Amino acid sequence: MNHELYSLIEGVLFVVGDDGVETERLAAALELPEPTVQEALDEMVTQYANDDRRGIELVVFGGRYKFVSKALIHPVAQKLFEQTSAKTFSQAALETLAIIAYKQPITRVEIEEIRSVGCDMMIRKLLARNLIKEVGRSDAPGKPFLYAVTEEFLDTFSLASIQELPELPSFREEQEADSEQLFG
Amino acid sequence: MDSFRISIDQFEGPMDLMLHLVREKELDLFDLDLDVLADQYIAYIEAMDNMHLEIASEYLAELAGLLEYKSRRLLPKDKSELEDTYEEDTREQLVQRLLEYDRFQRVSETFRQLQEERMLHMDKPQEEIVSGWLKDPNNFTDARGNAYDLIKAMNRVIQRYKIMQPLPKAVARKELSIEERTVTLKANMVRLGDTFTLEDLCADVTQMNEFLVTFLSVLDMIRSGYLSVCTGDDDTIWLGRGSSHES
Repeated sequence: MNHELYSLIEGVLFVVGDDGVETERLAAALELPEPTVQEALDEMVTQYANDDRRGIELVVFGGRYKFVSKALIHPVAQKLFEQTSAKTFSQAALETLAIIAYKQPITRVEIEEIRSVGCDMMIRKLLARNLIKEVGRSDAPGKPFLYAVTEEFLDTFSLASIQELPELPSFREEQEADSEQLFG
Repeated sequence: MDSFRISIDQFEGPMDLMLHLVREKELDLFDLDLDVLADQYIAYIEAMDNMHLEIASEYLAELAGLLEYKSRRLLPKDKSELEDTYEEDTREQLVQRLLEYDRFQRVSETFRQLQEERMLHMDKPQEEIVSGWLKDPNNFTDARGNAYDLIKAMNRVIQRYKIMQPLPKAVARKELSIEERTVTLKANMVRLGDTFTLEDLCADVTQMNEFLVTFLSVLDMIRSGYLSVCTGDDDTIWLGRGSSHES
């Protein structure tokens, strides 16, 4: 590991803060080829994670690298401050986000068909929280907006990229056996 | 019956209610007895109605569908094929919708866990001086952010304004038109550099109505191209000279 590169990357990551930085932009700023920087970043992720003396770790959410405190800091921070902000999502919000994430780009009506309830307010809330964005219009009558999830969404759910979405369960597991009998 | 103890507002919608009934009655989604489900659903909605609870239209839409299904079943069978396909299709469609919804309901649990995990890790906001580098006028060419960024930025300014606000004093309303304010702002801008923040323009503001007029005036100048706007990552509203800004 190149110590100078290590310290440069560490310093830049410190400076960018919670915004984080993509490999591409970091490589451009350092005037180094992307694979070199990527390799260093990968190495640093492992190093920070495995080093017990470190209270911070290097993560990649939505393609952006940044430092976050390790999970073990959380209870300590909670004692230090009276309260740490805990913005949890309602079931309705989680369902809507999940549908958008797996089906994007998707219109409001398509989301409502799956959830069987109106989602207008929910979509506005998610837009305002920057978790979803408008990505154009569908060709359907009325040219409705198409929605997709944002980098903020990936960050909120610890996802490195949209490809890292957890696998969508096909159907209830306890019924898997039944269905096999049914079709087998 | 157990399910009636759960009030209708605890459900996310008719699909959620139906899945609950399927689970409770231990029905098999892959070999769904729609008669049982329809009876349960109808009984549940009736029970909620008797308790004078408000039932959202979505529940009634599904209720209508199930009632239609039930009533067709009650009609004497004329053994026509049409009749049979109607029953099969309704059942099949409903099963497909329930299965689809079930997938998302279950994956949303995974998302909840992911988010809880994420919340254990905290990050640091960017230093203001770093965000300030965005002042580079080149960045003004592509308007970053969207209307929601602007709303967020606006809220932040109002928050700050509230903090700055001294204790309430006597109310003295002074009428201020957007046109008047625009003239004052244009004069003030001469002192400011190429780029400045919305806060800079609000430096002489002491009342909320003045603040709102300032904001409207700024919006108007953006619209007319006198000013250009972009929002920084820390929700700061940066303003610069627009395309039609001469002098």
